Amino acid sequence: MPKTKKLSLMAMLTAASLIVFVIEAQIPAPVPVPGVKLGLANVITLIAMLLLGRREAGLILAVRIVMGSVFAGGVSAFLFSISGGVLAYAVMCITVTRFPRKMLWVVSALAAVAHNLGQLLAAIAVTKTAALMVYAPVLLTSGIITGAFTGLVAMYLVRRLDKTRQ
Amino acid sequence: MQCIDKRAYFIYNGFMENGRIKKWIVIFAAVLIMCAAAFLVLRMTGERGNIAVIRVDGEVYKKIDLNTVAVAYDMEIETEFGYNKINIAPDGISVVEADCRDHICIDQGKVSTEGVPIVCLPHRLTIEIEGGDIDA
Repeated sequence: MPKTKKLSLMAMLTAASLIVFVIEAQIPAPVPVPGVKLGLANVITLIAMLLLGRREAGLILAVRIVMGSVFAGGVSAFLFSISGGVLAYAVMCITVTRFPRKMLWVVSALAAVAHNLGQLLAAIAVTKTAALMVYAPVLLTSGIITGAFTGLVAMYLVRRLDKTRQ
Repeated sequence: MQCIDKRAYFIYNGFMENGRIKKWIVIFAAVLIMCAAAFLVLRMTGERGNIAVIRVDGEVYKKIDLNTVAVAYDMEIETEFGYNKINIAPDGISVVEADCRDHICIDQGKVSTEGVPIVCLPHRLTIEIEGGDIDA
């Protein structure tokens, strides 16, 4: 892929992930447990990983976390976002090549679980309230369900994108 | 006709094509069931406690013995992270007002048992119920 094309694609994906992130932040939480959310912005990270590569996806994710905290969140949100994001990114990097494309939802679910657990650990570290551990089962459950969902979204999107490029 | 066939094939392919996919579905289903069971057990087994420990940014902000509370009252907590109004009643403690974005702390309702704490992450505020005495 030519350099300019790659740069513009990366910029576009970053913008798209930010929009998705900010819009998603406006949706009220369905369950009163902090950290339970759809994580639609991860669809973009997954797509970037498949279309461009790990490094590029990492850059897009980093920009999205920083800018996302500026637009919808704050210092606290940034802390939890980055600890979850780093863990999820690491899991995605390890698993993305080990699974076929049609099992992308497994990669995504594992990443979402890692993200939620990272956030939970950060929350426990910040508030020094070990009792927050009771939310681990809830966050694990929500990670698997939302992760599988966003993974399927990314999988079908990449399929469409592949078709349009031919 | 061929188009429909193709789509059906994709969906079939996406979910059930080989044993590897089935294996992961089973793993995730098992984890989901265990999580549901674990959460229910944690919720049910919480014993009634009487000491409410309020923490802000990891520091103990205040400890309140709910047994000494005769009439419910409100307490405002204003810190560098934000504002929360807490209702302290003999039968439990809850957040009634907050200027955070998601109001998850308010949705968590009243707590009176050990185990499940109230948390307002954006404000780094947690309220936990403990047993025993206030000095312990």
